[in-house]
Amino acid sequence: MILLETQQLSKRFGGLLAVNSCNLEVRAGEVHALIGPNGAGKTTLLNLITGVLAPSKGQIRFDGQEITHLPAHARVHRGLARTFQITNLFKNYTVRVNLELAVQARRGSSFRFWQPVAKERALTEEAFQVAERVGLGRRFEVVAGQLSHGEQRALEVALALASKPKLLLLDEPMAGMGPEESARMVELIESLRQEFTILLVEHDMDAVFRLAQRISVLVYGQVIATGTPEEIRANPEVHRAYLGDEGGAA
Amino acid sequence: MRWPLLLLVLFLLAFPPIASATGLEFYQGLLTKIMILALAASSLNLILGYGGMVSFGHAAYFGLGAYAVAILMREGISSGWVIWGVAVGLSALLALLIGAICLRTRGVYFIMITLAFAQMIYYLVVSFKQYGGEDGLRARRPEFGLFELTDTALYYLSLAVLAGALYLLHRLVHSRFGRVLQAIRENESRALALGYPVFHFQLVAFVLSGALAGLAGALMAHYTQYASPNLLAWQQSGHLMMMVILGGVGQFWGGVLGAATLSIVEEVLQDLTIHWQLGVGLILLFIVLFAPKGLAGLLRRRP
Repeated sequence: MILLETQQLSKRFGGLLAVNSCNLEVRAGEVHALIGPNGAGKTTLLNLITGVLAPSKGQIRFDGQEITHLPAHARVHRGLARTFQITNLFKNYTVRVNLELAVQARRGSSFRFWQPVAKERALTEEAFQVAERVGLGRRFEVVAGQLSHGEQRALEVALALASKPKLLLLDEPMAGMGPEESARMVELIESLRQEFTILLVEHDMDAVFRLAQRISVLVYGQVIATGTPEEIRANPEVHRAYLGDEGGAA
Repeated sequence: MRWPLLLLVLFLLAFPPIASATGLEFYQGLLTKIMILALAASSLNLILGYGGMVSFGHAAYFGLGAYAVAILMREGISSGWVIWGVAVGLSALLALLIGAICLRTRGVYFIMITLAFAQMIYYLVVSFKQYGGEDGLRARRPEFGLFELTDTALYYLSLAVLAGALYLLHRLVHSRFGRVLQAIRENESRALALGYPVFHFQLVAFVLSGALAGLAGALMAHYTQYASPNLLAWQQSGHLMMMVILGGVGQFWGGVLGAATLSIVEEVLQDLTIHWQLGVGLILLFIVLFAPKGLAGLLRRRP
């Protein structure tokens, strides 16, 4: 079953066609990696899928329904959650409040003006479970801005998890990490693949080939190839466009 | 915070009889004015401090509330409750219209466009010659049925309204809604990515804030028995903003502390010198440079 599908999706910024008639298919249950050189349009494509940007042309279908013109916040409630390439947290709030906000977004209306939110045990309990899941249980009361870089990246993933998405969009989760932190993140993502469909944008080829069942290669805003890691590794076009220098290392 | 607050309330409750016994009625008037301005400043603090929306047009709702009283009294509607309903309703409606447009912009554009709308309201009202134009309009005090609106009754009424509004605001900022509103201020793109319809939260806060400012404006008209175009002018918006900054942006008592301090300082300096605004400016400068969380932030830093 296809969970996410873009059809002829394009985004133009003035003279630049950042995403060009892009066709991408993510199947339910898979870890699908999206790779491509810098400036290929990966983050723009993610912003189109999540609704931060409106496409110039084309369609996006998710879970059997068209969502091309749905506002960003409504897509989250349909089951699309993302992490950001550049860490994007409530830096002045504790891990607890960060996660409670994420849980609250999914559980019941937030247009409640009277009851004190600090007394909602259910929010705290679920927030704590998510924190444990990404290894931040012992850092629950620490202010997010004071966490280490790796911990902040983990919290970034946790915020997306808390919305219990059908599709998890991870935008370079390993960005700026040392080898040890990267390894921990790979472990975390591995532990998530049983439960979630994941679209992973990542530059770290070791991680990509280890995690992904299928890979799509984006070059100049177009998907030039999709296939299993073996197929992608063997594809001469991909080598020419992208892997050329890094492929040997992978 | 409990004990000082209780003492303050007791003091305010006991003040009018003490004042009339000792001939200090002037200070009762000053306190009434401070409580009304505290309500207006606290309403601004909701969107400015908690919502991160730097509205430079708060005078529009404040002034509209005052004009609603003056115009309705002139047209022969004298029930205070009806007048309050109209004042609050109109201010809320105006905030809904202005907010729905302005909240599509951010940063300096938001500041400028809220200012522009408030100035439009100012010139619109001033152009109605039958409502006094630039001279303003007399606003007799309405009837509240249960009591006659004497100076002392107005004092207690303002105290009750301020206390009620502060209680409401306190519940609000600690509720689910309040937490999301502050989260949007902290990081809007993150709040959106969590699935919060940012615009709706901001607009609801904007309307609530406008409605409370309208009520404060109605009380101000009762106090001065006069609706002045000055209440609608941009200087009034700036004045309210100064109170919030002085008292503490996003600090719960910021509006109250700022309104009280600024009113008292103005009163004292005005007696001493005609260049009193220089003194006010220096105090504000000091606060901005050395106490970014305002007076409320300074008080909270106790050991």
